Amino acid sequence: MKHSTPNVLMRLLSFVSVLLLIVWLVDYQHTPDLPKKSRFIKLNNQGQPMPQWQGPWACVLDTQTGNVWENKTDNESIHDALWTYSWYQDHTGVENSGDCYFEENRCDTEDLITRANQQALCDIKDWRLPTSNELFTLVNPKPKTGKPAIYNDYFPHTKRGDYWTSNHNIPMTGVYAHLKSGAMAIDFIDGMMKPLPYRNAAFVRLVSSTNKKPQH
Amino acid sequence: MLFNPKALWAILHILAITFVSASLLSGARIGVLEYPFLLRLHTILPQGQVHLLHFASAWGLTTLLLIYGALSTLQVFPKKPAQWLKKWPDNYHRLSGLAFKILLPLLMISGWAMSLDSPLIHRYPIKQWHGVCAGFVFLIVLLHAGGYLVHQGSNAIKRITRPIKQFTLPLMMSLLILSLLATSVAFVTLKTLPHSLIVATLSANDHIHIDGLANEPAWQKAQAITINTQGGANFVNGQTPIQIKALHNDSDAYFHFSWQDPSKSLVHLPLIKTTEGWQVKQQGFSDFDERQWYEDKFAVILSNTCEMNAAGTAHLGAKPINDKPKHWTGKGYHYRQEGIVDLWQWKAVRTNSMRLMDDNYIGQPAMARTGDRRYTAGYQQDGKESGAYKMNWQWFYANKITPKRLPIHLHDITPYQKVSSKDLPWVLPWFDTQPYHKQIDNYPVGTLMPSILHVSNQFEGDRGHVRAYAVWHQGVWSLEVFRKRQTHSTKDIDIMDGICLWVAAFDHSQIAHTRHTRPIQLDIP
Repeated sequence: MKHSTPNVLMRLLSFVSVLLLIVWLVDYQHTPDLPKKSRFIKLNNQGQPMPQWQGPWACVLDTQTGNVWENKTDNESIHDALWTYSWYQDHTGVENSGDCYFEENRCDTEDLITRANQQALCDIKDWRLPTSNELFTLVNPKPKTGKPAIYNDYFPHTKRGDYWTSNHNIPMTGVYAHLKSGAMAIDFIDGMMKPLPYRNAAFVRLVSSTNKKPQH
Repeated sequence: MLFNPKALWAILHILAITFVSASLLSGARIGVLEYPFLLRLHTILPQGQVHLLHFASAWGLTTLLLIYGALSTLQVFPKKPAQWLKKWPDNYHRLSGLAFKILLPLLMISGWAMSLDSPLIHRYPIKQWHGVCAGFVFLIVLLHAGGYLVHQGSNAIKRITRPIKQFTLPLMMSLLILSLLATSVAFVTLKTLPHSLIVATLSANDHIHIDGLANEPAWQKAQAITINTQGGANFVNGQTPIQIKALHNDSDAYFHFSWQDPSKSLVHLPLIKTTEGWQVKQQGFSDFDERQWYEDKFAVILSNTCEMNAAGTAHLGAKPINDKPKHWTGKGYHYRQEGIVDLWQWKAVRTNSMRLMDDNYIGQPAMARTGDRRYTAGYQQDGKESGAYKMNWQWFYANKITPKRLPIHLHDITPYQKVSSKDLPWVLPWFDTQPYHKQIDNYPVGTLMPSILHVSNQFEGDRGHVRAYAVWHQGVWSLEVFRKRQTHSTKDIDIMDGICLWVAAFDHSQIAHTRHTRPIQLDIP
């Protein structure tokens, strides 16, 4: 076996070159994943779309249905998620049997609708109660552990409880039979529809069908 | 001769290449937890339950070293006559061989000291030595392999592969028997690996007050074990010994954990008023890895099974789960392939004033949600009916935030402006504050304010199952914990004879906790 100096130098050079090539090939720069395209788009107070990982946001656009949803808060405004409302609309139902801070005489669903439209939340003035079918589109059977059955990442302040829909004049049965009729709610513990008497205090998430398609 | 020495040497050499490579690569992946620059090697590093690979390769290498030592003693391999200073390549190879003979045993000894949670790791910076030895071994491997390639060219490869053709049946049978023997010893070692914690029986007259003092007579009768944990940020050399005691009766279980932590850290992500508005004091929180402005924490895992590697939950790597997001800092996730383990987290500010540990669990990797910036895989919170703390920002931005609320009375935060404020609770009760409005934000630049708002006294529901309270005295946290042995929650583990525990301490760091290898198995009489 010959070990001439030029041979050894060539091999040394080749070995170092291969090593440097490997180092260059394997060098890794870590960057976290970028946000993935989502069904929901956050909207700010003026109704403008916001990046997925920014906040706070006032409304949520559902690109599947085109509906814009009120985003609840914990800031004691009219949109605070803790406030409850009795079902009352167009002289039907029970007035002022919910609990909130923003009305002198307690709260009903019409109070929130009136206030949200006056405020033009997200530049929208046709806020209303969702139908059962509309609200049901927000039910997520796979929420985070112990959280309400909704898309928790876009509707973070949702309570595990009943949310009113606009479907009303529903005959009451069982212990509520004497109250004759009520309105439909969706229970966000299990995502099931549940008729409730108008006088009950339940949560509300308003909806609008105003077209708020984002302009990219 | 029964064995062909050249063939035997060749197989040992190939096994050595395999075990050393596996050890170095898996070790580098584990090293990413403390030395993020190693993440640049991500492309060639294994991902997942890397600790198991590291343990297996270390076991193989140790066995190999013992076999090689025995065979050398028996002079199975022919020795070349020493020809120092006559031919440079021979001297070079002898030197690299000598370096291996010194470094590999050091690497093995330091590695086993850590694996066995030896008291040595508290006395000496064994982990650092292990890392330095591994670095040198990597260098020597390069010099050794490079030296032969430069010296002999392609003949070097032939030299280590050609003798394999001379394998004989007795040689193969002998290696098979040796492998089976090594595997059996490894299995027995793994089985006898757990630390045993005898849980003392509590009499009907004994009452334990969860006040962190653990001064009731029952605690004096309980056996104490000490687990040497290492690898945590901010601790001296990353290490702290954790002493554990446990008591039980038919329905209840009590634990006392105490660990050294020179600094009592309660200043948790404070808010400071700047000329631009309010800001969160943080150094790594925006990347979910704060190590400065964070509270002390302590975590306990309880598992029905006693696998190594935190009950089989630690999966390292930038993307250890194919169909899930990369880990934000590239370190890895906790999750289980099946079933759950219980995870209790005590937080010096957020839960200590609630007299609770945060009752969490580790299950299968959760669904990734497009609206969540942080993905935590199997690490999830138990559900709760009510009660919580909230962070006092409407949305977290690294440069500027808007608080959710401001104190109703200025004097509520006056004490936080003093140098001695580090001993204050660093919590604002929700009802001592009011919603933020620009008009009432008249605080001068430089004002400090806690960022934690306590909404109610305690968690209600699953998440509030673990009562706990800790006190810090002269460099030691003392944490007393109570939980019903059975909670009937699907997210909790029943506290029964034979279950295993793991413990971890956090010194004002968000995720960089200390660790230990061997599980702690409960022995409940």
